[in-house]
Amino acid sequence: MNIHELTALEIQRGITEKQFSAIDVVTAFFERIYEKEPLIDGFLTLCREEALVKARQIDEKIKAEEPVGKLAGVPVAIKDNICTDGIRTTCASRMLQDFIPPYDATVVKKLKEADAVIIGKTNMDEFAMGSSTENSAFKKTKNPWDRERVPGGSSGGSGAVVSAGMAALALGSDTGGSIRQPAAFCGVVGLKPTYGLVSRFGLIAFGSSLDQAGPMTNNIKDSTLALEAIQGEDKRDSTSVRHPITEDYMSTIEKGVKGMKIGVPAEFFDFGLDEEIAFSIKACMQKFKEMGAVAEDISLPITKEGLSAYYIISSAEASSNLGRFDGLRYGYRTENFNGLNQLTEKSRSEGFGEEVKRRIMLGTFVLSSGYYDAYYNRAQKLRARIREQFIKAFESYDILLSPASPVLPFKIGEKAGNPLEMYLSDIYTVNINLAGLPALSMPCGMSRDGLPVGLQIIGPHFGEDRIFRAAYALEQELKLAAMRPKL
Amino acid sequence: MKISVEDVRYIAKLAKLSITFEEAQKMVGEFEGILTYFESIDRLDLSDALPDPPDRNEGTVLRKDEISVFEDKEKLFLNAKSMRDSYIRVPKIIE
Repeated sequence: MNIHELTALEIQRGITEKQFSAIDVVTAFFERIYEKEPLIDGFLTLCREEALVKARQIDEKIKAEEPVGKLAGVPVAIKDNICTDGIRTTCASRMLQDFIPPYDATVVKKLKEADAVIIGKTNMDEFAMGSSTENSAFKKTKNPWDRERVPGGSSGGSGAVVSAGMAALALGSDTGGSIRQPAAFCGVVGLKPTYGLVSRFGLIAFGSSLDQAGPMTNNIKDSTLALEAIQGEDKRDSTSVRHPITEDYMSTIEKGVKGMKIGVPAEFFDFGLDEEIAFSIKACMQKFKEMGAVAEDISLPITKEGLSAYYIISSAEASSNLGRFDGLRYGYRTENFNGLNQLTEKSRSEGFGEEVKRRIMLGTFVLSSGYYDAYYNRAQKLRARIREQFIKAFESYDILLSPASPVLPFKIGEKAGNPLEMYLSDIYTVNINLAGLPALSMPCGMSRDGLPVGLQIIGPHFGEDRIFRAAYALEQELKLAAMRPKL
Repeated sequence: MKISVEDVRYIAKLAKLSITFEEAQKMVGEFEGILTYFESIDRLDLSDALPDPPDRNEGTVLRKDEISVFEDKEKLFLNAKSMRDSYIRVPKIIE
């Protein structure tokens, strides 16, 4: 038995049933990391000592027959834009390369309460802006299925380390697809929860009305387990959910899809969708029918325009959120300056990378006098329209299916010179964030060249239970969860 | 949409970023491409649509502004560039 190939659920059970200890698990995963990380470059920081301390505590609890959490001993990697008490949190930016948060994000606190073991922080596009993790100021993460290709982004490090068996579970963040697209590229499961279901406290803000943290795992049940651990109201996040939510997804996950109504938006098969991806999605639609679901083509006319609304709104929010990095209080400060204005301008210009500056400037432009109505205001109106469109679709359908990405994992450097082309790879994911809906990306096939294909399952607000049910049924049918890249 | 190097440099100034003339020139082309794509929204009639309400249906949440002591001050000071006794030393900010 290779411990690093076990699921999070198997690890938790193995530890509570005393088949192996939490120390055994942490040791096994770090052996795997020391062997494979040089090939992948998925981590920015490793915390072996802290992990061993936590593992020892869990083993002592087990020995004393005390109750342990539902993620007891599960090695977890955290995207580096999520604050970890005493552990460097950089957003993969020079701006925060020395930043050590004095507190845990609520999601991290909840993971620790569930007895998960934090093993490290993962690489990402700087401040979560990008779709390939090439915008990191520190390193380029490789896709474990083909190391000449990108792992997707912006949670590319989290996707890659889960796929490569270097963490049983990872947290990512998703503003416009940053969990789902790297999950698709790395052949793992990625969930963006309903906006408000998971606290954003301690998730360093990019687009506050769009950001959500969520789990990346090797299978559906692990995703369920992780969501149960991190979700719920948080007084420190005024946008977090304040009504009763489903606490237990696991008990309904095996109910199947018989009678479930599934809509497949016809428009999603345009936009230069890769043929092999289209084929895999159609095949899934067929599988669902064979399992007793009703799957039909539907129309969601506003899709392409949603991408514009997304980039306008997210850049506007980013320009405001990133205004706090002024070189004065914390973060990068330039060496030589003359006066406050130069201090701020030089610190920001040297501390931020190219894509972050581009987004800040786009955001500043669409909010500036004379352009606000034409861009920002129209985008907000369109956002309301998109939300209505989805709510209407969910009056007739339980879930919607779509590709997670229009393209297969691309080569490192292939799109780096063309920002608009990179933005277009988010076409299937951004509308979900604009509408605040939950969506999950899961492996649903392999291309001829052995690259994973991702299916996106979209649910209504707080409809994660339906998503999990459908995803689990399909996973059992496709038997793809056990596939791991050869490294 | 057409924009000029001067437009880009003006926006950079608003965003408190300093960019070189060469960087601005490169950005002109990129921004024109992106802003032209953004014009796809203009094809839709949104005259009767209201902007997305930020508070959706639950209203704005307020809580009392209560002071609580952060126990581990050392941790907070870890991110300050320079300290004198228990004060954070910052560069001169008044011109």
